[in-house]
Amino acid sequence: MKIAVSGKGGSGKTTISATLTRLLARRGLPVLAIDGDPNPNLLQALGVGPGVEIESIPRSIVERREDETGATRHVLTRPVAEIIGQYGLKAPDGVTVLVGTRVDHAGAG
Amino acid sequence: MDMEASIEHLSRGTLRYVDALLVVLEPYYRSMETAGRTVPLARELGLKHIYGIGNKLRSPQDEEAVRAYCRNHDLQMIAAVPFDENVTEADRTGRAVIDYDAASPIVAELSRVADFLQHEFAVKTVEAGGK
Repeated sequence: MKIAVSGKGGSGKTTISATLTRLLARRGLPVLAIDGDPNPNLLQALGVGPGVEIESIPRSIVERREDETGATRHVLTRPVAEIIGQYGLKAPDGVTVLVGTRVDHAGAG
Repeated sequence: MDMEASIEHLSRGTLRYVDALLVVLEPYYRSMETAGRTVPLARELGLKHIYGIGNKLRSPQDEEAVRAYCRNHDLQMIAAVPFDENVTEADRTGRAVIDYDAASPIVAELSRVADFLQHEFAVKTVEAGGK
């Protein structure tokens, strides 16, 4: 199942997401944590030591396509396993982390 | 660049593909109003499982403020996480709060959220080496 966590900045979204992620992983569930925050700090909240670098997922892995009804769909351009293999980082309790594209202010459209 | 629209667009993109949305609510009007904006958006996109989680609650009054907000917005409140000094301490030392002190109040309350989610979505534990 896919769970999104939302809230105002500073409300504790990251701490809650990270802690819940670790708890579900401790129960033996395979958990993938994705940081969608433009200023990613999920890594530290998950207990990944300081100084660990992670490559963010490039925007090019998602493509917007229109279906026959004209509705836009977001489609992955590469298999999920491949994306996790290249960009995923292992966190404690067997959690896998992915960090979404950082907002690139310089020259961003 | 219209940030507000862009944020909404990002939310739409994400919300369309999730099974559940957890809305973290601090017991302050502005926090709840801001957080609450995702709720109608999520409903509009057809998301059925939307839950409120009260966070940084320092008193029964704080908890009641979040409960009242959830009642008024037809949001099921699944947790009341107390204000937990361990979160600040863990952050200061660069650790996860669950590693800093596994007996922290926030960890205890979120264990109940994990129970709820596992039960609600019948998520089965996968044995090591299993499928």
